[in-house]
Amino acid sequence: MTRDAGEDVWRREAPHVLAALLRRSGDFESCEDAVQEALIAASVQWPAEGMPDNPRGWLIRVASRKLIDHQRSQTARTRRELEAAAYASDPAGLEPAADALPHDDDTVQMLLLCAHPALSESSQVALTLRAVAGLTTAQIAAGFLVPEATMAQRISRAKATLRGAGARFEAPTAADLPGRLHAVRHVLYLTFNEGYATSSGANLIDTDLAIEAIRVTERLHRALPDDTETASLLALMLLTHARAPARTDDRGDLVPLAEQDRSRWDRDLVARGTTLVEQALAAGPAGPFALQAAIAAIHDEATTSGATDWLQITVLYRMLDGLAPSPTVTLNLAIAVGMAHGPTAGLDLLDPLLEQEGQQRNHRVHAARAHLLDLAGSTAAAQEEYRVAARLTASIPEQRYLNRRANPRTAGRAPSQQNR
Amino acid sequence: MKFVILIHSHPQPWGHPTGDYVAENQALPQEQRDQMNAEFDALLTQLHTNGELLVGEALADPVTSTLYRWQSGKPIATDGPYAESKEQFAGFFMIDVATRERAEEIAAAFAGPGETIELRPAMWSGGNDQ
Repeated sequence: MTRDAGEDVWRREAPHVLAALLRRSGDFESCEDAVQEALIAASVQWPAEGMPDNPRGWLIRVASRKLIDHQRSQTARTRRELEAAAYASDPAGLEPAADALPHDDDTVQMLLLCAHPALSESSQVALTLRAVAGLTTAQIAAGFLVPEATMAQRISRAKATLRGAGARFEAPTAADLPGRLHAVRHVLYLTFNEGYATSSGANLIDTDLAIEAIRVTERLHRALPDDTETASLLALMLLTHARAPARTDDRGDLVPLAEQDRSRWDRDLVARGTTLVEQALAAGPAGPFALQAAIAAIHDEATTSGATDWLQITVLYRMLDGLAPSPTVTLNLAIAVGMAHGPTAGLDLLDPLLEQEGQQRNHRVHAARAHLLDLAGSTAAAQEEYRVAARLTASIPEQRYLNRRANPRTAGRAPSQQNR
Repeated sequence: MKFVILIHSHPQPWGHPTGDYVAENQALPQEQRDQMNAEFDALLTQLHTNGELLVGEALADPVTSTLYRWQSGKPIATDGPYAESKEQFAGFFMIDVATRERAEEIAAAFAGPGETIELRPAMWSGGNDQ
């Protein structure tokens, strides 16, 4: 990642600057716009003139000036004029000494606001990236591979929705916090997954959403170190991201987990993720993220794919199935059972999935069937299922891989068969 | 998830919105046509403001097409429609939505009498390694 120290600073400060403005004015839309303008000003001025001594003070000053300009320009709104006048006459009140604000609370409160239940999931993600991660609309649009104008539309719509819902920047009640935090973790998980899936393949992506999600989750974890599901979510991200260097080959093709060169995995990330999830599991009953992180840790500690402890993975997926059942969990459980107890047992679990609404068209179910049929020695049936899966997927690298497995001439050349 | 919504239609004469030039649509009572048009406009506005619509284009009459076919090692250009079928490719919209269900809901709202709407997922270059 190429990024200068200045960008790190203004992005880290973004939620604190926004929080400082919001404490003076409840109007999230104009405050957020003003902060965005201040960040852009920093991106122009800091590289040229050097970073100010008190970056947060600088950003707050510039952002509040933008806010005043904005409010003055809306001449028809007399009330806002008066508010702006109040700002202008009391600039000192907007410039707290650096670190005078409780940063961690800013971050948590901002995350809670961005994960407001009135917003759609995609709006929650976009708003979090702007208000907490300090990304520009153009950077967010690049991360999602959509035009900037579309992303701008989504963000302004999200802000209008917040206003309509009467959402405020304030500390949640103790009773509210667990449910709201659940939503925040879900937003961060979605962001990570989006980045994780998008960054594979031959794409040239300017914004790595997986790394952004890790950064913000680190901050949430620092603010709430005792929240085991947040620690586990961070662990899951680190343990998954550790494999990033091995996920694509020299041609940019996707390399399945079983075929990755494990010497390229980032051992430091694996160690950190493993410690985090071990602590979380020791602290109390395992939540869904703790179970998923534990599964990722088992994959990561296997030195070869053949050494994977599938029996333990099976146990963990069964627990996950009890806690948070979904077709994806069933599918992964079926694969794990197939690896631990033989392909027939796996197929017995998998086949009922095909009866469920929409699963006939889910390429992953067919790819998993193909894999288990292959293990069972039913080569022709496996190839047919690989063909079905290849037709159904919308991912170009996955389709290339599945077509290779479907072809009798290339199926045996899958790298997993070479390195054993 | 990105999808394209393809409009297959046979406006006579060629024109947009295609529904106004399709006999099956013209046969409906004016009141119903007005209501359908209003609903469609509302949908387009909604897709634009919530950031689900990426791009949409109405296409010119297929007689204005130029086709390129490979012959004797080089492209040979000919004029005219790609196929002499009744329905022609008349326009497309590209959307980016959270789920396939949402895409299906939107595509269904594009349907009108005498036309065929096709919803196709766009391929993408990302993927999952598990």
